[in-house]
This record gives sequence, structure tokens and C-alpha cells, in this order.
Amino acid sequence: MTQPTSADVVIVGTGVVGVVVAEQLLDAGHSVLMLEAGPRVSRAEIVENYRNLPLGLKGSASSSYPPKPWAPHPMPGDDYLQLEGPDAYAQTYIRYAGGSTWHWAGTSWRLTPEDMRLNSLYGVGRDWVFDYDTLDPYYNMAEQKLGICGPSDPALQWPPRPRSAPYPMPPLPFSPGEEKFTRVMKEALGYTNLPVSQARNSGMPFDDRPACCGNNNCVPVCPIGAKYDAATALNRLEAKGAVILSNAVAHRIETGDGNRIEAVHYLDPERQEHRVTGKHFVIACNAIETPKLLLMSADSRNPGGIANSSDQVGRNMMDHPQLGLTLTLDEPYWLGQGPVVNSGIMETSQGDFRADHAGAYFRMNNFARNRYETFNALATGKVGRALDEEIRRRVACTVSIVAAHEILPDANNRLTLSAKKDWLGLPKPHVYYDVGDYTRRSAETYSMPIARRIAEAMGAVEVKEPSAFAQSKHLMGSTIMGDDPATSVVDSDCRAFDHPNLFLPGGGAMPSTACGNSTITMVALAFKAAEALTDQARGA
Amino acid sequence: MTRRPFTRLLATACLAAPLPLLAAAPAALDSDNETLARGAYLATASDCTACHTAPGGQPMAGGLEIASPLGAIIATNITPSKSHGIGDYSEADFVRALREGIRADGANLYPAMPYTAYGHLSDADIHALYVYFMEGVAPVDTPTAETALPFPMNLRVAMKGWNLLFHDAEPLEDDPERSAEWNRGRYLVEGPGHCSSCHTPRGFFMQERDDQALTGAQVGPWYAPDITPDVAAGIGSWRHDELVTYLRTGKLDQAQAAGSMAEAIEHSFQHLTEDDLGAIATYLEALPTAESSSQARSRFDHGEPGDELASFRGDGYAAGLSGDSRGAQLYSANCSSCHQADGSGTDDGYYPRLYQNGVLGDVNATNLIATILYGVDREVGDEHVFMPPFGEQPNAFNALNNDDVAVLANYLLARFGETDDDGHPILQVSADEVQEIREGGPRSPLILLARIGLGVGVVVLALLGLWLIRRRKARRR
Repeated sequence: MTQPTSADVVIVGTGVVGVVVAEQLLDAGHSVLMLEAGPRVSRAEIVENYRNLPLGLKGSASSSYPPKPWAPHPMPGDDYLQLEGPDAYAQTYIRYAGGSTWHWAGTSWRLTPEDMRLNSLYGVGRDWVFDYDTLDPYYNMAEQKLGICGPSDPALQWPPRPRSAPYPMPPLPFSPGEEKFTRVMKEALGYTNLPVSQARNSGMPFDDRPACCGNNNCVPVCPIGAKYDAATALNRLEAKGAVILSNAVAHRIETGDGNRIEAVHYLDPERQEHRVTGKHFVIACNAIETPKLLLMSADSRNPGGIANSSDQVGRNMMDHPQLGLTLTLDEPYWLGQGPVVNSGIMETSQGDFRADHAGAYFRMNNFARNRYETFNALATGKVGRALDEEIRRRVACTVSIVAAHEILPDANNRLTLSAKKDWLGLPKPHVYYDVGDYTRRSAETYSMPIARRIAEAMGAVEVKEPSAFAQSKHLMGSTIMGDDPATSVVDSDCRAFDHPNLFLPGGGAMPSTACGNSTITMVALAFKAAEALTDQARGA
Repeated sequence: MTRRPFTRLLATACLAAPLPLLAAAPAALDSDNETLARGAYLATASDCTACHTAPGGQPMAGGLEIASPLGAIIATNITPSKSHGIGDYSEADFVRALREGIRADGANLYPAMPYTAYGHLSDADIHALYVYFMEGVAPVDTPTAETALPFPMNLRVAMKGWNLLFHDAEPLEDDPERSAEWNRGRYLVEGPGHCSSCHTPRGFFMQERDDQALTGAQVGPWYAPDITPDVAAGIGSWRHDELVTYLRTGKLDQAQAAGSMAEAIEHSFQHLTEDDLGAIATYLEALPTAESSSQARSRFDHGEPGDELASFRGDGYAAGLSGDSRGAQLYSANCSSCHQADGSGTDDGYYPRLYQNGVLGDVNATNLIATILYGVDREVGDEHVFMPPFGEQPNAFNALNNDDVAVLANYLLARFGETDDDGHPILQVSADEVQEIREGGPRSPLILLARIGLGVGVVVLALLGLWLIRRRKARRR
């Protein structure tokens, strides 16, 4: 059978954004062809990849997803990402059908209204081009689609305002350690540790997927599909008529009259080139691979790259710079029951201080501690029963506290095409990155002092502080949204200013990061873009 | 259109608003609230909704395709709609449909409609059902598709002969020698519950084999097991309260309801009174058992927890699949995250243990294969048990091929199932068997044979005709 080479809408990328846009279009009656650079692999295989890993590699989410030569993604110790600058934009993502939600934790904090008006309220960063109430219905759609569980108690809402629609499922229960943490935070510091809204089936099946049974294996893979990941939607999309081509590495976007997008060219594992055409195009490959593809596709009409008349493609690279503390406590917390992230303190992300420095969100990770503490226990030199007891003690009595910060868009934080090439001869991404004084000042004067107070309140007898910011793998920026084509790449519907039939939805468009994980906002933007695209496709 | 296996004809219910608990006392023959409620309860006990309500559809408006070994039978609209339902049925019409399997227009129903069981209902109960369907069910004025079985099964008139041979159900009269509870149980099992529709093996003409009543039968891709008190093959090893709990919840340590039994519990049994469930149990416990069975030891008494992880862990998935550990590797990859590496499930039974479990201890692997291919979906009270399917469904956890399912099933049988004295499993599942279950279960040879029979008949008639013509010609000479 010959592969179809044309559709109403061509979507590059089968991650959560591409998949959500695809399903909206299919449901509206449009044909969809999806290109995925990486392989399509069964959940069973990934689960066993993880279980077969040596303990030392289990901390790396990507180790369970070995990249194909033609679809490289960052791996521990490799140089696929060419990094430069004061801080390393050392991100983790995978190029597999289903995308990086395969290994996300499922955490789904919404933005607050204030998060979208940083410039108006605090004189920093950029405002969004629409307000929270505009985004709210798309958040609701995203929460229904992904199956987000969360609290109905008005006192436990994030953002702290009445919801316009309930979560489809109630929150997951706290583990004993989380209950204790919640109590201690309220009593000692007055903070409310909120149940996290998360893409996880809570006590019931949802979306024809089973209920979470607490494998505590969310990262790198939910072994039963109780956590939403975009791979769970692929068969359903095909049942609705989508064509999904995996191992198809898009490497050039072709333009035509009126600077409309005409086609996408892709390479297969035999390095053969293919061309697919469509009426509308969606590039949803994350905030690294999308700008890379746009820049690689420079042509005579678009010498700086596709969608790049503003010279903003690849700029404003953002993330949630995080600082993690490891505490040793004098009494056990016993983490690891339930999902890996199940609660968090969000109120510390908001305030007038944002005129001066970034806010931060604090969480106690609920990862079972074995994989970390076994090595520390071995390092003590103990053997036999003493070693077992040391592992037990450490697993029970250590916790990880993470402060995740917001960051401002900065045009100097920039992705460009490296002179170094990958297996197919395509340029590797090069990223210059500096978290910036706004975020650093927060660490110095705000977030780390709070973290130390948290440690003290928990009765920490030993505190290991980080030496540098780590990355949260929340890729944002690079195709930033705005209302001025001179300073931004996409409009309020994630449509490229330069090309009327090109959409770039997802984290790349986000003008501010806030502190909470970005996926739910990316998906809300995907729904908004899909609505505009559906209208546009109907009129075409 | 949704398809459900023929088993579906089981007792389940109309799910009207919560119903008053009703005793078995005869109802007054007028349409008072008590009669209406009694009718609703009986409709629940009869599981009318199992077939006559399509998923997501209007109650009793039909449309569901019932997969039978002869082809799909489409459940009809039995709302009181005058245009497309039974709104014009007189009570006599209604009685005739339930007792004799004959529609108001005189056409025969297929016995997918269990009139062979409903024929046992009392006059008072049929009256209450009539009142309920006329007054308690909202009319839905939408048609359903016509059932179109392949020739010659499309000839409904053939059912007249079938009924002559196989249908003799009469309203049950209490046996004074037996307890009131036993009599109530028999009434529920043989009448509204129509348990035999699934659990009694069928003969060549799809008739229930009364001599083997409730000793287990194939129903679509599932096997409705022996529910007689046989200790090895049936439920003889269960305590009375376990049987009642099973009917109410579909969940015991040693047995879980799936397929159409899960639906029967969901729609019907969980809504019955504790007294009625107890009566059903009492009757089942007193049934005669099958004369012979290949089940030597109790289905619920095989295997122990254990795993074979050490034989492949660390080698990589592909390597694990290529060697002798393939079954164990498939189990680890697909099953162990819920059922645990050693098959012990969870303490609350939400994830069943796999050892000492009736599905694994059975000498018939049908339900093991069907569970893997179709999963489990059972909503009882506020608990929704859901095991994803491993077939070709869009939400299949992993689309296992026939060979994978066979290898996985054989691993499970060897580890948790019935073994001979040397520890070898007495069952071996083949990929072909998996394919048969994937296709919805064994098909009846009846159509082919009927066609051959009709063909032979036509030839015989033709020859007879020729002979007659020649004879006439001969006479003319």
C-alpha cells in the first residue's frame, strides 16, 4: 500500500499538542496526516526497558527511550544539544510517537490571571495577548481531554478562584509523608500544600484507561496507562482516520505563493526524501525541535527561516529553573506511595515581589527514594543486614524538596543551528542560556531562604543544597506569542504571522512561564489553535 | 453499532430509580404504585436492559446487536412507543411475546429473547411487567434496524417448529416439598433470571440441553461456567455467603465476573434484595451436578504465587521475548504492574490474584483468552473495575497477537493453573484458539447444515417432481 502524501492538515509531531489538535480536526471532519521523527513503540517494551535498566540509569527519564539514529534526542552525557552560556539548557525530551508526555509526571497547574500580566502588574516580562478568562474554557477542555484529577474544595483551588467547571475526577489521596508535610507546612509556616491537579485516573477508569494503582513509576513511564500520555491517543486517532507516519524526520518546510506553506519534506531511515502536502500545517515538535525545523527551512522568501521575519524564532528559550534540596530527617516520611508528584505549595509563586524577582513553587517529591539512597547507603561501606537497614533508614528518612522558579523571556537566550550535524546530516540545536538575574535574585533572597525554613520545620538534621540550577524539562519560548509581528512569531491563535496556514501551538508560544508545569497550558493553547484552524479549514 | 455476545441475554436490569424492596407476594391486578414498582423490580431481575438498551441509548429503545452463533440479532424497541415500540400491545399480546415468543403481528421471535425462561413467570408478575413497560418506561419513537440473519435463519416461521420441539415452559408451581426460599430461588433462576440462557449447554438446534442444566456453556467469546454445586467444576466449594457476595459484587478472591456476567451483576443482581440473592444461592446449591466432568480438582484450588523474573531480567526486552522466558517476559510487561510480579494481586481484590483463581484453574481456557483479549469492565456500587483489553481495540493496552496471547496464557496456566502430577499444565492454548475467541467465539455449523439440508430438500423435491411428471406422462401413454 502506498502511503498517503496529502491531507487537509499535516501535523508534524505526535506529542500531546499534535495529538490534541489532530483529534479536534478529525472530529470536525478534516483529514489529518501526522509525521513523527521517532519510532512507535509499545508501552510493554518501554516498561521493560525501564525494569531492565541498571539502578544507576533509572534516574534518567530518557534511558528507557533509546533514540533511533535518525531521530536523536538528548541522552545523559551526549552532545546532541550544543550548550553554551552561564547556565546549561540541558533539557530532556524524547522523539518517540506519543512524545515526551510518555515520561511526564502529569502535573497540571494552571496559570493564574496575574501570571499572564507580568508586564502590566509588575513591569517585567511580557503580557499575554489575552486574559485568563479567554484561556479558561480551553483549560477546561484540556482537563477533560487529559483526564485531570483535582480537588473540588474551593479552599484548595489553583488558581485560587472559583472554577468554571469541575475536574473530571477527584484528587488522589496523599501518602502518609504528604499528609505529614501538609500538616507541618500549615502549622509551622502557614503554607497550604495543595493536592496537585494531575493527568492521572483517580480511583476510577477514565478515557477507556484504567485507574492509577500507585506503581510510583510515572516517570519514566506509567506501566498501565493510568497517567495520560499522548501515546494512549494514537490508536484512537487512527480509528478516526488519521494517518500517522513514524520514523519520518521532517527537515524542510516548503513555501509557495503568498508565502503559504505548501509541503513538508521528510527523511526516512534510509535517508530517502519524501514530500507531503496539505492545506494547513501544524508544527508541534516542542520548543527545541520546532524552531530548529523552522530555521533549517530558510528559503529565498524567508532567508532567516520560516515564520522568522521578526528574528524571534529560537529566542526567549525558557524553562522552570529548579533548585532541589535533599533533606535527612530525624523521623521517617516514607515517600513513594502514589504518584511521583502529588502536592505542592503554589502561593509562593505570587506576589508584588515579582517586580523584583521571580516567584517559586515548592514541592516535596513523592518518588520512592530507593533508587537514590541505595547508592548513598553503599557509599557508607556497610554490607549485609547493616546495609539493608541503612537503605531502609535512608529511604524512609530522606526527602527531596524542589523550588521551581519562573523565568523571564530574554531574546539572548537563543537557539541556533550548530555547525555540528546529526546522523542524517541535519544540524544539531545550539542553545545559549542564562537563567538571568531575576531568577537568580529569587534564589538568593527568596526561594532558598524559604526552602531552608521548610527544611527546619520538617526537622532536617542534614540539608544538601544544590550548587546550580537544574532544568525542569519544561520547554517554553522560541516561537513566542504576541500582538506585534515585529516582536513575536505567532498570534493569539498560535498562527504564524508570516504564513496564514501555519500554526505553531504549544509551549513555544508561551510569553510567560509562571512556576507551574507547562503542559496543561500548552494543551489549552492547542485547543485554542485547533478551534481557529478548524474555522479556517472549514472556510478554505 | 455495538455488539454484545449472546450471553447478554442474562438477567439484568432496567435501572429505574432506586426501587422499593419487594417481596414475592402476588401483586394486585391494577396499576397501582406497588404493581409498577414490582414490574420495575422484575424488569431488573429479568435484565431486559441488557439487550434492549444500547450503550448510551435511551432505556429499552433497542438497537443493540446481539452476537449469536448464527449472526447478529438486533434487540427491538420495547418502550411503549406506538410507532416503533410495543405501545399498541394489549396485555394478551405482551403475555404471548413473553410466554410463547410471538410478536403482536404474529411473527416469531428468535429465542435470543429468552421466552423459554420467561414462560415460567407467574400471571401476576407478567401483569406487573406489562404495567411497568406501559407506564414506567418512557416511549421512544425511533426505529431499530431489522434483524437479518443469513438464509435460512431469516425464515422466522421456522421458529414454530423449534418451539414445538423445544419450548414447553409453563408458569412454575411451588414445590410443597421444598422450602419457600428454594422455591423463590428456582423461580428467579428459571424465570426472570434466565440463567440457563448462558449457563446451560445448547444442543444442535441451539436448544438448551435440559439434561445438562447450568453445567456450563460457551457464550460468544466467553464461557459461562458450571454453576451447579459440583465441587470440582461448579461452585460447590463456595460458601453460601460467598455465592451471595459474588452475585452482588462479581468479586471474590477466587472468582471475578467479566463479559456478560459482569453486565448481569451491574444491571441486575446488585439491585436485587439480599433475600432474593440468598434464594438464588440456595437453589443453585441444591442443583443436580453434571454426570461427568473433565475437571478433576476444584477450579479454585491451583497454583501459588511465584515469578520467573530472574530468568530474563536485565537481558533487554527483545532478548526476553526471544527465549524460553517469553511468557514470563510478556507477563512482566503487560500484567505484573497490577497483578504483581508473583500473581498475588492486591489485598482488597480489586486486582485479583491469579493463583487459586477459577479462570486459571479451569480445564477450559476460553475465559483466560477472552479476559486477555477483551479485558474486564464491571461497575458495581461505587467501584468500577476496569482491566484494559489486549486485543485490537483503540484503547488496547498493547495489541497482543495470537501467538503472544497463547504464549502468555500458557505461562499463566503453567504457573497458576491446573497441572498434572509432574507439574505440567494440562492445557495448552494455541494461536488458533486465540483467533477463534478473537473472532467472537465458535460459530454454529447450523447455518451451513441448514443450507445443505435445504439444498438436499430442493433436490429431493425436484426429483420427486420429475418422477411425478414422468409418471403422468407414463399414464398418458
